[in-house]
Amino acid sequence: MAGNAAVIAALQNALAAEHAAVYGYGVAGALLSGADLVNAKADWNTHQLARDNLEAMLTRLGATPVASSPAYDLPFAVSTPAAARRLAAELENGVTRAYLAMVAVSNPNLRFFAAKAMQTAANRATAWSGSTVAFPGMPS
Amino acid sequence: MLAASPTALPLFLALSACKGPAVLDAPPTVSHQTHVLLHAVTAELNLIWIYNKAIAAYSGLEPHLRPLRAEHEAHLAQLRVHIIEPQGKHVPETVTAKPAIGATQAAALTQLRDAEQAAIKMLMSRLGGASPSLAQLYASIAASEATHVSVLSARIGG
Repeated sequence: MAGNAAVIAALQNALAAEHAAVYGYGVAGALLSGADLVNAKADWNTHQLARDNLEAMLTRLGATPVASSPAYDLPFAVSTPAAARRLAAELENGVTRAYLAMVAVSNPNLRFFAAKAMQTAANRATAWSGSTVAFPGMPS
Repeated sequence: MLAASPTALPLFLALSACKGPAVLDAPPTVSHQTHVLLHAVTAELNLIWIYNKAIAAYSGLEPHLRPLRAEHEAHLAQLRVHIIEPQGKHVPETVTAKPAIGATQAAALTQLRDAEQAAIKMLMSRLGGASPSLAQLYASIAASEATHVSVLSARIGG
């Protein structure tokens, strides 16, 4: 039961990060254009799918998926395309951190799932920021 | 109570003979966790070696490859931090694979990308049996290496 509780907590944490990403991409997308807007829309869709998937996983475990907040505090003022790109990278870093926490659960399938999710999120963060980091998801 | 007794010494020797001196025991076997860590260290050393050779062969690639190599050096350092050197076993310091570097820049980049992908596969296969903290380290390194694959792929395509 304790293991199940840890799994549910990790899934809820990741779901909260996905909710924040969906909201954040809505903010960022409003300031982007051209290829950046196309990419932001694609990433927004990806996070919506991830959110739906996590909600389904939680429901299967008998848990009530955490709901999204009506609004989120942005980490900094977002009023230019450059700030929007930085926000997108920061959203992906937040998602990467959430999935890194999930890697700590004992279920090997969930570990693998979370590690794969980290890779895609880290790649999106790199695409937005233009640079790589040695330890995605870890405190810097 | 502590005075010598004519029966104490034979008793001590008899007990010693039963258990045997610990210093003559065989070295403890390396745990699975440590074995995997040592393997990961070797994998990072091999990757860094390929980066070094690619940079030496194609100096034009250095600005692009140097940051990725630096991240592998950080991976290596962090993996080593987690190893308590087992008795009779030393943390690897030398590479175990020294492949020839691709004959063109594109071939070298492809070689690096393939090596990164192999390293990711290895790390992902070790997640299940690792402690939570090591699993997180492996997952984070694999995520870093996944970004390297993308960077290298973009350069190959460009």
